[in-house]
Parts: sequence; structure tokens; C-alpha cells
Amino acid sequence: MSDLAIPTLQTEARRERSAIGSLRLVQTACILVIALVIVSPLFMLLIASLKDDRFQILADMGSFRAFWVSNPTLSNFAEVSNLSGELAFGRYLLNSLFILGCTVGAGLIVNSMAGFVLAWGTLRGRALVLSLVIALYVIPQESIIMPLVIMVSRAGMTDTFAVQIVPWVASPLYIFLFYQFFAQLPKELFEAAEMDGASVFRIYRSIFLPLSLPALATVSILMGIESWNQYLWPILVTQTDYARPIAVAIATFFGQDSIYWDRAMAASVLMMIPILALYLAFQRWFVSSFVGSAVKG
Amino acid sequence: MTLQQPALPATAVATRPARRRDRARLFQEIGMLAPAVALLTIFLVVPFLLSFWTAMTNQPLVPRPTPVRFIGLTNFLRIFKDDLFWTSLWNVSRFTFWILPVQCGLAFATALLLHQKLPLRNFFRGLFFLPAITSMVVVCVIWGTLFQYPTGPFNQVIGFLSGGRIQPIDWLGDPNWAMFSIVLLSAWQAYGFQMIVYLAGLQGIPDELYDAVRIDGANAFQRFWHVTMPGLRPTHVFVLVITTIQAFKLYTQVAILTQGGPRSSTETVVHYMVRAGFEEQKLGYASAVSVILFLIVLVIALLQRQLLRRFDV
Repeated sequence: MSDLAIPTLQTEARRERSAIGSLRLVQTACILVIALVIVSPLFMLLIASLKDDRFQILADMGSFRAFWVSNPTLSNFAEVSNLSGELAFGRYLLNSLFILGCTVGAGLIVNSMAGFVLAWGTLRGRALVLSLVIALYVIPQESIIMPLVIMVSRAGMTDTFAVQIVPWVASPLYIFLFYQFFAQLPKELFEAAEMDGASVFRIYRSIFLPLSLPALATVSILMGIESWNQYLWPILVTQTDYARPIAVAIATFFGQDSIYWDRAMAASVLMMIPILALYLAFQRWFVSSFVGSAVKG
Repeated sequence: MTLQQPALPATAVATRPARRRDRARLFQEIGMLAPAVALLTIFLVVPFLLSFWTAMTNQPLVPRPTPVRFIGLTNFLRIFKDDLFWTSLWNVSRFTFWILPVQCGLAFATALLLHQKLPLRNFFRGLFFLPAITSMVVVCVIWGTLFQYPTGPFNQVIGFLSGGRIQPIDWLGDPNWAMFSIVLLSAWQAYGFQMIVYLAGLQGIPDELYDAVRIDGANAFQRFWHVTMPGLRPTHVFVLVITTIQAFKLYTQVAILTQGGPRSSTETVVHYMVRAGFEEQKLGYASAVSVILFLIVLVIALLQRQLLRRFDV
């Protein structure tokens, strides 16, 4: 930097500082307005779920009463959170939780192991496997679903939990995310452990996995959201209450002539709680590590 | 020679366990890779390849006594002759046309705001991502009430602002409005992911670049136009492409709120496919639609690679 630039930079900075003050104000105002638009529908959902009268919910919707409940009640929740029979949203919620837990748990292990071997293994053909995995990423779920339905029904897997878990455990995207994360860790880490006589699995298990909390958090959130929100697949492969996830159950409200909004709202709030908890638990690592990894993939 | 002589058996002894260790390592690596490869093969590669075969047969959903016949490209020809298919393709194109500016614009604007050093920005970042973790079914419950005709919140607000001059809009029941209503709720639900990608892109632009043009006397707008925008070029391409691909797969919100109606104005390619496969039970025909969907997605993805290469990333 030349000596001349310093004073101009300082006056420039001073002039800007006053401009920045008003700019900040505008920016803060914008953020607040956007936040209001973004969050108010969710807030309305929460408020409406606490109102007992489904006709009142609709009547209130058009006014400020949508954001206020004078005598909150949990009766809607009590109505829908049965474990069996009609409106067994308690059961559907547990079904979804079970499916999510198994998918994410198995997915973390399977995808991270594969990503680790692709990043640090000595297998010949690793590069080929990696490029195949990346190529598979292009195939949308929607375009394999037709033959997949035939396959699982031939295998007698319809209306089970397994059919909603096993097909979505391994995923090109998550293998790639783990691969990318592991590959950028320092080589010395691997070599030092190898020198001490640790096996590949041991190095993965005891050294690399504990270091990959950001990647594990990111994949947990992404897989969790994906599994929680599955809709097309479960409507094709579930027929009874047995393994029905909550998303499919909530959608049945729309099939009725007159929609029970009070119950639908309560069931929706129920559905939001677990995924919100998952997100809040892992959010800290999620935002920082998703960074960059997606763009060039 | 004499010095190397004792060294030889020593290495020979060393290589045997080393080779055994190599083999053990190889087995472990194969074992660690195998579950993923097996699952991907069974549940992705096989059905993918099968879809090309099924697309050329008259495979029904429920097995019938008559054998499944190979019918060549008949399914594709039938699809191309079906007006409803072209309507669905046109509808997802319309959807894409609207969702790109609305969703990506919202994502870009929020990312730019959150990138500033404002108070509570981590809190807002978490808040702005909330719709993205909300299930589409729940989104439909919320927006289903917002769109109520004639007295839902949107109509009330519009009526209030216009002093009653604008008639209530039947958001989901009017063929002219239905797709646009779907656009609004879809953008609200999905912009969070694009926002995160934009934030990542913004963080990837080095501060030195901003300092350099500041020395040259660039104002805020010039800095945005000459540093931020070029720096975000790959991000823009990525965001536009994933949004377009998502748009072509539009299904859930349409299946729940409008079932493709009114008058096919929200019929989409995936909805068309599911209806053919499961209501009309023509799985071969539906597979042919899925092959077309794949080809569309493939073309968009290849386009992205071309664009990124041109920008030399």
C-alpha cells in the first residue's frame, strides 16, 4: 500500500462511517420486516393450535386475533395424540421418529465409512467409485420410484418400517459431503496413527470420526429433514396405520369435505417439535460447515 | 555387498507381515465401502436401469395373468400425444419462471442482510431457516388457511388495503391464480437452503478484494456490482440450477392442495406420473414419464457444468 493511500482511506472511512449508521438502520428495519413475514405464518399456526373452535380459527385468521389467544387450551393436542384408533397422531409421530432415528443413525455410519475410504483408502478404483457416486447424485428420487415400488412389493416389504428406512440410508450427496470433509483433514493425522499400527477402521473410528462433528451435524440435519418430510414414497408403500408416518396422516385432513383445522393445526405443531429440536441441537455446526461444500459439488 | 548381505533377510522378514497387513487393510476398506455400494446399487442403480426397461413395457401396477410385453417406444409416443403431459410440462415451466425470481431473490436478499455485521444476526439466521425445516405438509396446513376464499387472511388484507375495491381472490380455486399461489408457499418453504448457500458464497469472497476497490474509491453500490456479484457467479449458477431442478420435481404441495386442478392448471410432471402409475395402474407408462423427468434433470445439470466451466471455477 502506498503512503498516499492511507490518508484518503481514512477520510473515506470517516465519510462512510456516518453513511454506515443510516445504512445499518435501513438494514435492521429490512431484517425485522422480513422476519415478520417469514415467522408470522408459523406463529399463527402455534396460536391457532391452542384454540378450541375450528370455525373460530378461520374467523380469527383475517384479523389480529390470529396472533392472540385469550383462553389457550391443549384440548386439540389431547384429541389428536392418541396412540391407536382414529386420530392416532401420537402413533404416527412415534412411527416417524423411529424411521428418522434409524435412517439418520444408519446413514451416518454407512455414508461416513464410504466417504472415509474414498478419501483415505488405498483401494484401486477409488477415483472411479467417487465419480460414479457423484454421477448418481443427478438421479432424482422421483424418477426411480416407479420400478422401486415393484421391487419392494415383490420383496414383500410394503407397509413396513424397513421399506421407509433401508432405501434411503446410502446417499450420494452425504457420501460426497463426508468424503470432502475427511479429505481436507491433514495427512499427518492419518500417517501418525498408521505408524502406531492402527488399522484403517481404527483410524476412522477413533481419530477421524471424533473430529468430524460439523460433518456429522450437517448430515444429521439434512438427512433428518429429508426423512421427516418424505411424502411421496410413504403414500406409495404404506396402506395401514402400522407404519404410517405423520406427514401422510396430516395430509389426510385435506381429503375431508370440511377440514378440521383445529386438529390439523395441533397435529402440525406436534410434527414440528422433533425436527425443531434436532435443528436447534445441531444448528451451531450446521451453518458453518455447510459452507462451501455444496457449491462446487 | 557384505554390508547389504544381512539386510536382505531382514527386509524379507519385514515384507511378509507388511503384506499381510496390506491385505488386512484392503479387506477392511472393502468392508467399509461395501454397505454403501450395495445399498446404492440395489436401491438406486438397479431401479434406475429398470425404469428404462419398464418404460418400454406394458407393465401394470398389480400383476396380471397376461405376461408383460415389450412394446418399444409406444409409451413415449403415447405420452407425447397426450395434451395433459404437455400441459404439465408447461405448468412446471411457468412455476419455474415464477419461483426463480421469488425464491432466489428472497434467498439472496436475506443472505446479503445477514452477511452484514448486525446485532443478533445468528439469531435471525436461525429464524430465517425455520420454514426450511417445516414439512411441506405442515406448510400446506398453514397456507391452506391463509389462502381461504373469500375471507382468508390474504383476502382480508388485500380488501383492507384496497378499501374493498379488489374482489377477494380464490387463490387455489382460480386457474389463473392457483399456480402462483403454489409459487408463494413453495418459495416461503424452500428459500432457506438457498440463503445458506448464498451466505457461504458471500463468506468465500476475500475481504482484501473489498479493501482493494475501496482504496480505488468505489462506493457501496460499485463494491456490490464489481466485487460481490462477480464473486458470487458460481453460487448464482448453483442456486439457479438446484432451484430449477427442484421446480421440475414439484409434487407434494400440488398433490395436497389442488390435486393438479383447477382445470389442470397445477398439473405437474411428477403428479402426472404418479396418477398414471397408481390411479390408472399403468406402471410402464409412468416409468416412461420418469425417464423423461430424468432426462430433463440431466440436461439442466449438464448445463450447470458447462456454465461453471465457462466461468472458470
